[in-house]
Amino acid sequence: MICTGCSCLCDDIVVDGGVRNACRRGAGIFRFVNEGRAKPMINGEVVDFEKAMDAAGDIIGNSEKLAVYGLDTTTVEAQQKAIELAKTKEAYIDDNSSFCLGDFVELILKEELPTTTLDEVRNNAYVVFYWGTDVYHSLSRHMSRFTYYPRGGKRQRGYEEDRFLVVVDVRRSHTAKLAKKNARFIEVGDDLELIDAILKVLDGKAPEKFAKDAVRIVKEMQKADFNVIIGGLGLKYGLKGDYQQFLEFVRRVNEVTNLYFIPAGCHPNMRGFNQLLFEKTGHVNRYSFRDEEAGEKFAFPKLLEDGEIDAALIVGTDPVNSLPFDIAKKLKDIKTILIDPRQSLTAEIADVVLPSAISGLETGGTMIRIDGVKVELAPFLEKKPDDVSIISSLLEAV
Amino acid sequence: MPITPMEVYKLLPKTNCRKCGEPTCMSFAFKVINREKNIEECTPLFEDDRYSRQRDELLKLLEPLKEATETGLIVTEDLCVGCANCIVVCPVHAAEDPYGSAAGSGPKIEDPIFRLEDGVLKVINMTKCRRYGKNRILCVACRENCPSDAIRFLEG
Ligand code: SF4
Ligand code: SF4
Ligand code: SF4
Ligand code: SF4
Repeated sequence: MICTGCSCLCDDIVVDGGVRNACRRGAGIFRFVNEGRAKPMINGEVVDFEKAMDAAGDIIGNSEKLAVYGLDTTTVEAQQKAIELAKTKEAYIDDNSSFCLGDFVELILKEELPTTTLDEVRNNAYVVFYWGTDVYHSLSRHMSRFTYYPRGGKRQRGYEEDRFLVVVDVRRSHTAKLAKKNARFIEVGDDLELIDAILKVLDGKAPEKFAKDAVRIVKEMQKADFNVIIGGLGLKYGLKGDYQQFLEFVRRVNEVTNLYFIPAGCHPNMRGFNQLLFEKTGHVNRYSFRDEEAGEKFAFPKLLEDGEIDAALIVGTDPVNSLPFDIAKKLKDIKTILIDPRQSLTAEIADVVLPSAISGLETGGTMIRIDGVKVELAPFLEKKPDDVSIISSLLEAV
Repeated sequence: MPITPMEVYKLLPKTNCRKCGEPTCMSFAFKVINREKNIEECTPLFEDDRYSRQRDELLKLLEPLKEATETGLIVTEDLCVGCANCIVVCPVHAAEDPYGSAAGSGPKIEDPIFRLEDGVLKVINMTKCRRYGKNRILCVACRENCPSDAIRFLEG
């Protein structure tokens, strides 16, 4: 079974009585599959599913400025329908990647950042950077399944000999605590200083800061022909929007050895959404089908803040919980439809709630792992309707 | 916190009476921690009321022994997020389960030392651990790679 708890999409889960091999978060999804489920609702009152569908159809039909938002926890098939719907309605479409790691995914899809798959990492990687991400908590099995601990291909001797771990963070996280033998933890105040230090070493100059670490890291990377950076939100913030310097750094390192990049995004199918939208529009998120362009002003929170939309179709996410209160409260000023398997704060304020099957557990389809690998889901239950059928019906209605 | 033989020793009668079958109270203390002896085998401690306060303290001190496995390994489930680092680093798994846990997947052998069940680490078969039995060696690989200290060993 596939776990859709995070972007690792672990494929070795066994469910028989208990849940085997999943981490705490993943196991919770299986164990509590029937708990906290959403009910079809209109204005907070439980109604027939069909009635809720009709009401949702009306909202979409009457909307002049619709936004479609979320979609990172559903399947590629549902995302496809949602993009079609947005296109038909000349709507805005956005997912969580705009304030997550969408920028990195875009650089990868544009082939400006060299990337690889996690399976290749398992078989080949020597230096493994975790940069600005505490994966022990966010992607619990990442290190043991793909990067530092497993043996595979050219790396059969285990982490103490065959890998070199570099954890870069602003504090000593749980992940950083694992940097022991054959490893470095680098505590940064400013990530750009570390990048600068490594660039100086490549130029044969002595950096002022991180001198010892930078020399060691370059030396270790040159020992192998395969090194990888797993980059998270901390790196994104650390770069302060200056991706050019980061690209330059990766390019320069690649003159002396091979260095790849994989984002440490959390949502199970964020990459799927980014990739689909990119194929259709050349952009990964924050897209306006009316203006045929992407931009900061089309990010869902911004549209809400600016009062640019009159209705929102929200799929599998909980903006009332995740957005700043001042912005989230504006959801009350517009019509909102929520498609989600579970009850949430957003469900409490939505005009229409359409409960759906849980992707991966109750309905199949495809997701794209954070490294671009396609994963076919293997549901162990069957439930209808799912996101695909719901969004398809809404699409037919318009 | 691991329990030390010294802590146990301090609370024993310290008479070296040998009733437990050990030459000294100190060697008895060692064996209690290694679970080769039961604290009840020190009969004076239980029979002589003079020791009642020491006895109660000692029983409290040894409480964790009960939850510990045969090798002294204790898992604190509340601290475990289920990262599986411990499962994958274990040298026994590396040798016996090359296509399962050695390669990062869930164990493919029937009786691994441990695996994740309901999201946390569960001990399945401690007898495979390198710390088990007569020829044991002091392996700490699993504990070393648990960043939240969900794994500890009684004797430290
Ligand atoms: S690491 Fe992610 S995909 Fe794997 S079991 Fe945990 S939540 Fe599920
Ligand atoms: S029986 Fe108790 S007091 Fe006597 S030697 Fe053994 S441990 Fe010490
Ligand atoms: S102590 Fe060593 S052999 Fe025993 S379970 Fe831990 S890693 Fe495996
Ligand atoms: S005991 Fe520690 S290393 Fe093992 S799965 Fe739990 S958190 Fe991870």
